Amino acid sequence: MNERWEKTRWLLPLVILVLGLGLSLLVRFATRQNPVLYLRADLATLILLAGVVLTILGYAAMWINSQFKQQRQRLTSQATVDRMRFIRRLDHELKNPLTAIRAGLANISEALDANSRDQALLTVEAQALRLSRLAADLRKLAELETRPLEQASIDVTTLLQEAFDLARESANEHKFFLNIPQAPWPLPKISGDPDLLFLALHNLLENAVKFTSPGDTVEIRAFEDGNTVVIEVADTGLGIPEQELSHVWEELYRGHDARGIPGSGLGLALVRAVIERHGGWVSLRSRVGQGSVFTLRLPVG
Amino acid sequence: MQRSRILLVDDETAITANLAPFLERAGFEVAVASDGEQALHQVAEFVPDLVVMDVLMPHLDGRETLRRLRQQDNWTPIILLTQVGEAVERAMALEEGADDYLNKPFDPHELVARIRAVLRRTRPGQPTLASAERLNSGLLKLERRSRRAWLEGKELALTPKAMALLEYMMTHPDELVSRERLLEAVWGWDYPIGTRAVDTRIAELRRILSDDAEFPVYIETIPGQGYRFIGQVEPAS
Repeated sequence: MNERWEKTRWLLPLVILVLGLGLSLLVRFATRQNPVLYLRADLATLILLAGVVLTILGYAAMWINSQFKQQRQRLTSQATVDRMRFIRRLDHELKNPLTAIRAGLANISEALDANSRDQALLTVEAQALRLSRLAADLRKLAELETRPLEQASIDVTTLLQEAFDLARESANEHKFFLNIPQAPWPLPKISGDPDLLFLALHNLLENAVKFTSPGDTVEIRAFEDGNTVVIEVADTGLGIPEQELSHVWEELYRGHDARGIPGSGLGLALVRAVIERHGGWVSLRSRVGQGSVFTLRLPVG
Repeated sequence: MQRSRILLVDDETAITANLAPFLERAGFEVAVASDGEQALHQVAEFVPDLVVMDVLMPHLDGRETLRRLRQQDNWTPIILLTQVGEAVERAMALEEGADDYLNKPFDPHELVARIRAVLRRTRPGQPTLASAERLNSGLLKLERRSRRAWLEGKELALTPKAMALLEYMMTHPDELVSRERLLEAVWGWDYPIGTRAVDTRIAELRRILSDDAEFPVYIETIPGQGYRFIGQVEPAS
């Protein structure tokens, strides 16, 4: 019943219009000898027309509203899907260290010699630390949404240079290149939290080193593009398959080839959260076997 | 030497059951309470030298317990264990006169180090710097509630982070504070890259305080270890 009404209600103003116009023509014909009545009939026709227009406008408003409602529903169901996926991944991240801890504890209680007990203690300690790191990273992500953002004026050139130096110290078998324009003018300043932006850059560089081998190249470059500063971190590493590209910024996502590589699975999600908190956005290009380019765009000012 | 008495307050028995023996082995005499009300009772009965207390507890939470103790003019030093580590919560802990705080999960050795540091600088029965509203060190004045500072009567323009750093250093004078400790206490995050962030802020602070790193009046660098506030700090009314 309701559905049929949805489909046919558009006919209602049309029916009113046709009946009304017909009626008004009839009345006009009948009153053509009396000018006063004739004018009144004209007025009635106008009011009728206005009524029809209003009805149509009302329908249009209802239609737009229902579109919005559908949009909202789509968004909510997307949020539900995201949340479920996050819970599944978290479950997975917790399972492994917990299994290792339980096995380690069983070994400790049944250990026959000091050596095997020490070995098990080391495992338990390492896995407990892994869980602590996961908790710390989760807290950072949660706090990023709410903590007040410092608005300092930041010299991008210095920031990049410092992040670059730190990365080069930690991985001396990689080839590092830094490419920042100096002419005709240096990069413009951006405003934000220098510690958070440094963390984002550091995570990207750490990631680049993690997914490349000794001898590979990691390149940082930056340039000005309209009202944004574009920062790219490029590497000649494993590359990311196309079907994984849209997922790598998600919390706790692990690519197929990344399973054996340690990490909390939150590094890139933190990068994205930091950049978006600064009004910027992130993107990624990659080719399997050739490498990847992670791009950050930050508004100037 | 008499063993210092520690009151450990946490509703999670898994934590107290393991921390208490750990603290005892570290040379302390330990009593345990599982919520704020019990803690208030124990403070009167057991008369601890220091209280280690969780923030989130049923009935009477850690923050309220701390407030009540201070209202009763009880200045037993308190280390708060925060669960969420939000910046707001830490600032409040300072304002309400907690002497130090640790983010869960923490290394129990770190807790012992914190307890020893706090015990070293407290004088029994006296209000600690942590509960003072205003702090003076020579020509440097810090008003904690309004978060303002003056040097030679001139107000200093400090970023919120630099202000929090100065506040932490001034409430922990003459104590070697590692960069990691500052990160946890002031930033609330254990950055993997922390040293740089701390060094940058200390440099900023020194520039504003016109403090020479070679011949410091306020903040001294201990190479390879951290920083120490060397100025004499007095609570002011």
